Amino acid sequence: MTTRDLVFVVVGTITAVSALLAVTTRHVVHAALWLLVSLGSLAGCYLVLGQELVGLVQLLVYVGAIVVLVLFALMLTRAPIGPQSEISTPAWQRALAVVLGGATSALLAALLLPLLASAQVDLDRPETGTTQIAQAVFGTWVWPFELLSVLLLVALIGAFAVSRLVLHREGEAA
Amino acid sequence: MTAVAPAAFQQSNVDYVAILPMLIVASAALVGVLVEAFAPRRRRHVIQVSLAVVGLLAAFAAVVWVAVDPNKVGHKGLTMGFTDGTTNHSVFALAIDGPALFMQGSIVLMGVLGILTMAERFGGVGPDAFTPSGASTPGSASESAAARAGALTSEVFPLTMFAIFGMMIFPTTNDLIGMFVALEVLSLPLYILSGLARRRRLLSQEASLKYFLLGAFSSAFFLFGTALLYGYAGSVYFGDLSKAVATGPLAMNGLLLPGAFLVFVGLLFKVGAVPFHAWTPDVYQGAPTPVTGFMAACTKAAAFGAILRLAYVGLDTARWEWTNAVVIVAILTMVVGSVLSVTQTDMKRLLAYSSIAHAGFILVGVLAFDRKGVGAVLFYLVAYGFSTIAAFGIVSLVRQNGGEATHLSQWAGLGKRYPLTAGAFAFLMLAFAGIPLTSGFVSKFGVFSAAIGTGGATGTTLAVIGVVCSAITVFVYARVIVLMFFSDAPDDAVEVVTPSMATTFSIAIGTLITLALGVLPSSLLDLADRASQFVR
Repeated sequence: MTTRDLVFVVVGTITAVSALLAVTTRHVVHAALWLLVSLGSLAGCYLVLGQELVGLVQLLVYVGAIVVLVLFALMLTRAPIGPQSEISTPAWQRALAVVLGGATSALLAALLLPLLASAQVDLDRPETGTTQIAQAVFGTWVWPFELLSVLLLVALIGAFAVSRLVLHREGEAA
Repeated sequence: MTAVAPAAFQQSNVDYVAILPMLIVASAALVGVLVEAFAPRRRRHVIQVSLAVVGLLAAFAAVVWVAVDPNKVGHKGLTMGFTDGTTNHSVFALAIDGPALFMQGSIVLMGVLGILTMAERFGGVGPDAFTPSGASTPGSASESAAARAGALTSEVFPLTMFAIFGMMIFPTTNDLIGMFVALEVLSLPLYILSGLARRRRLLSQEASLKYFLLGAFSSAFFLFGTALLYGYAGSVYFGDLSKAVATGPLAMNGLLLPGAFLVFVGLLFKVGAVPFHAWTPDVYQGAPTPVTGFMAACTKAAAFGAILRLAYVGLDTARWEWTNAVVIVAILTMVVGSVLSVTQTDMKRLLAYSSIAHAGFILVGVLAFDRKGVGAVLFYLVAYGFSTIAAFGIVSLVRQNGGEATHLSQWAGLGKRYPLTAGAFAFLMLAFAGIPLTSGFVSKFGVFSAAIGTGGATGTTLAVIGVVCSAITVFVYARVIVLMFFSDAPDDAVEVVTPSMATTFSIAIGTLITLALGVLPSSLLDLADRASQFVR
């Protein structure tokens, strides 16, 4: 076992455990913070595997944008952040979720582990580096890449269309 | 670190004429966003509607130009990509071929009718079907403040244009990633539009949330399947996928079946096939009625276009792996859709279950695995689309106390008081049932005969089940007709409000096309048949 394997096992365990904690904790803010840990250490996994660009994009997009968005949403909606007994899920739903999640993981593991257990990749000489990814994005994938900007614009307009608020003027009855 | 020397950057070859229809729709949508920002509120509605309609008609003209190709330039074929000089491996993002152009043309035309029904104002300032403040709590002070301040929801027109843009790309993409992005571009506006109904707000918000959550799940399935298929073939292009399956078992053979299965789940969700149909009745009922009609017609057309491409170009060589699963889905869809439509008491839910059953009939045509089957599916999508837009247009006119009266009992005796409206609706019901002299008969005959002709024993079984299910749905539609014409109106009778020219036009065109395709179907059948060849 090389140092790299060891680091990967450690970072991977942190990712998995914090992901579990994110879905099991009863505090919304705790869930968001565990999600932050999980996504951040997933970026670590990519770095260990020699894909620094993917790792950095993971950090920027998920840790930088999405988790911050979750925290902002919590702040702006003034949602109660403590555990809420009246809206907590019933026990049978939790059990069902555990069974479904476990079954999906088992199925994927049964499928992927035998296939990929013996696969060998030379991490010191990765086949695809940042240059190749850049060429692919701006060469063959330029069309989906441009489409994504349309998608973001649609999301923006949709947010405006849904959340338009007409504020009351001073002295006007509600 | 990077030991592999980077090859010289190769630019994509783009045939701009071939993608002109999509560019026109996208730019009309972008201009619509600017109109939203700069045009005065009084004029905004008229500008938005005319911009959208003109853009769509121009896009249709462009589609015809590409398809007819008067200068013999040869716009059809693969575009948006290049052939690698060293490996002779071609990677192209878009396939401009018969089915793609046919789908683009029909989606654009159905989009025009959809926009015209959405534009209905009934004398108000903004579109009547949409609420000015979607996120506020139903019945709250901020909602009534928004209504009093005269806020409009004219954003729905650019959003619809973006949805049409995504729908045009969906059946045109030549790879799984492009298909995924198109799926998102077409879905996101629909999630928002279905939450903006002016009346019965809670139902609408519930519909929007349900559609969004289930849609997000199905997108995740699609993406996961894409990842598995990439692991299998080492490429997401349909041509490479088909070749990888044909050249024989690879090391990653175990990934093919789950990958194909997950990708199909994502696509079958969009057409509302059983068991991925749970969202359909709720969303069809909760969404603003013109949006429901638009969704039922155009989303179905786009998604079936994508299913056709995946089944005939990408995974055609792996057919024995996934056909049985899709056959079971088709049978379930026909049976569940038609049986459950019998028990419905709400007009919009009834039409939703009817659309599920129709998705099953169309799947029978997909499973014929023949050019004839492709042609029949293309014809079916156009025939069903125009009928369903007209039907939902009529549903939006039948009102009581200002709101839509969608409960079946409220439609009793409508035929005696409004014979023209009820007559048109009854005719559309006959078309859904597949009675001769309507487009429904021709399209059902097309898919079933294709299934019997080339589908083998499975195809014949499917066609028999399809005919039995059609017979069940005849009962449902006949009950609506009997209710409208042969029962007495209740005391608090509903009224049919008089729509504007735009809505009248789109209902009339939808009904006339249903009639025309039933009486003289040959020209469109011929066109669909000639358009049924995929490019690889």
